[in-house]
Amino acid sequence: MKLAGRPRRLWPLVLLAFPAGVQAAEEFSFDASAFERKAFEIGGHVQLKQENLAFDRGAAFYRLNNFDQPQRDGLDRTTGTLQLAGKLRQGIGTFDFRTNSDFQRDQLARDRSNGVFEAAYAIRPDPGLSMEAGKRVLRWGKGYAWNPIGFVERPKDPNDPELAREGLAMADGDLIFNPGGNLQTVAFTPVLLPVGKDVNGDFGASGHWNPAAKLYLLYRDTDIDFAWQGKGSRPARFGVDFSRNLASNFEIHGEWARVRQFTRPVTDGAGSVTIEAGNADSYLLGLRYLTASDTTYIAEVYHNGTGYSEEEARRFYELADTALTQFEQTGSTVLLQRALSLSQGSYGRPNAGRDYLYFRAQQKDALGIVYFQAALTAMMNRQDRSYQLTPELLYTGVRNLDLRLRLFLLHGGSSTDFGEKASSRKLELYARYYF
Amino acid sequence: MKKLLGLMLCLVALPALAIDGQQILAKVDRNLEPESYEAYRKLIDIQPDGARKEYVLYTMKKGRDKVVALFLSPASDKGRATLRLAENMWLYMPDVGRPIRVTSLQSVTGSIFNNADILRIDYTAEYDVETAEEQKDALVLSLKAKTGEVAYDRLKMRVDRQLLLPVTIEAYAASGLLIKTLRFKDIKDFGGGIRRPATIETDSPLQKGYKSVMLWSGLKKAGFSDEVFTLNYLPRIQELRK
Repeated sequence: MKLAGRPRRLWPLVLLAFPAGVQAAEEFSFDASAFERKAFEIGGHVQLKQENLAFDRGAAFYRLNNFDQPQRDGLDRTTGTLQLAGKLRQGIGTFDFRTNSDFQRDQLARDRSNGVFEAAYAIRPDPGLSMEAGKRVLRWGKGYAWNPIGFVERPKDPNDPELAREGLAMADGDLIFNPGGNLQTVAFTPVLLPVGKDVNGDFGASGHWNPAAKLYLLYRDTDIDFAWQGKGSRPARFGVDFSRNLASNFEIHGEWARVRQFTRPVTDGAGSVTIEAGNADSYLLGLRYLTASDTTYIAEVYHNGTGYSEEEARRFYELADTALTQFEQTGSTVLLQRALSLSQGSYGRPNAGRDYLYFRAQQKDALGIVYFQAALTAMMNRQDRSYQLTPELLYTGVRNLDLRLRLFLLHGGSSTDFGEKASSRKLELYARYYF
Repeated sequence: MKKLLGLMLCLVALPALAIDGQQILAKVDRNLEPESYEAYRKLIDIQPDGARKEYVLYTMKKGRDKVVALFLSPASDKGRATLRLAENMWLYMPDVGRPIRVTSLQSVTGSIFNNADILRIDYTAEYDVETAEEQKDALVLSLKAKTGEVAYDRLKMRVDRQLLLPVTIEAYAASGLLIKTLRFKDIKDFGGGIRRPATIETDSPLQKGYKSVMLWSGLKKAGFSDEVFTLNYLPRIQELRK
């Protein structure tokens, strides 16, 4: 009986040992046939994000957004996200899509949104020629945090430059040549971006086709882009960018763009708003440097020609203060509505100021832990000297799982860019699983 | 008598002097891969505790200095593509939506293999042979980078005399520091006259206890249009796979 019982007790060990044995036998084996291209592919990621926001109850943007709400010191927000990306191939044509679904919940509200970030059909009759139509994300420019020549895209979030964004409905093409010699590559990208009642409504005035184009050159090992967008839903604009490696661990880049006859509302402290028109020049210079110890430094200087100077911003904060005081004393919302409208428009953009500095240092394999990255990002409004610091930890050591922790710390005095933001601190943790 | 001895020594040394290092290096290049090819590779990073992370890449190369690699696995990296044109390198990530310049010393996978290893172009395109030494069972080539933009300043390549394939390569920084050692193993017939090591292992004194392995599969001659090796083509590089 004892002998009969032994094998039974050994079964779990055998079961454990069997896969281990298979693994040992399979060590360093690789058969590429499992990776053949399929006619239909689908993948994506699911993400759970938890945020804790500490409000600055004296800041202009907090007071404007919450003047009729119970006052709070903070908020805990949970966001669940599902992104699906797929491809369907047939002949020379490919249809691809990326959907985004969010569910958000905090102490004040619940929200749910479903959207299509990208969905386009492309035909590629030749490697040098492709044409596509549908909703597409076209990202132009070489800047890491900002892109003055990003003419046909939704604004980038400098706090998360690598975040997937929703595209715009368009028809575009690509024509590629390799002339050889010093001019290694030439690529021309024409774009037609219609704006109507139900199409690209947030791009600008409806009833325009909005032609745009980009010419890319790889000349003497330097990337150069010339970008243009014709007058239509938005004022006409054009620009140029470049990027080049000065050494195997040192890259420099730059962008310059002019928006012709750009209009923007400018208020005084009493709420008298004037529309100013004129050419707006924006530019950026940046570098990326990798040290022998695997620390990457990214630095950028940005001039936002469409932004507000320190003095212009100060007048807006003065208006917000006057409007809120008037509302508290008299109950009148006339001035408050004007301030609110401006705060939800160009004064409330993520970087509405005129001059910024961006700096990021990231250390690969920090503390000697593989796949563990520590980073520190700083963003400063050069005119009013307010700034934001963001320490960050990222771990990617588990297959298909990213874990990221970030803390946003905003500093600035009264009437400054980062000093008047609604929250003064935000802690963010997310887990993202790819499938 | 001394003159005669000197003459005899010279005659003995002649075969060694006759070694044309540059020619051997060119042969090593072609024995490793055809000038233009496609292949699948698996990269395995092994941590000191035995934990592993694996990546699968599809690679295309044209001429001496045009290479593109597309990540097929894991899901978190799928769709990422890297392009190399001589010393220019770019990384395209689907979420970012545009290629960004990267450097040869960086590693897109985080492994001991850096971008220069993953997107390796012909050795003759990057290095000059300084010395070629004949040993009993091997030829030892000392290589010096042609420019300062090459990832490793010097290579010491031990070459199998019969097969003219590398056995080990030691990679050094300009300071003389040994950065890593590559070991070529498991010679396999890929068909079409291609017979080369299917496994490359590497370790680094800078990352003690860690090891990375590169496995080759499906290596074959292939022709590609020049337009494939451009930034505009990177987002749709996967459409070229059969």
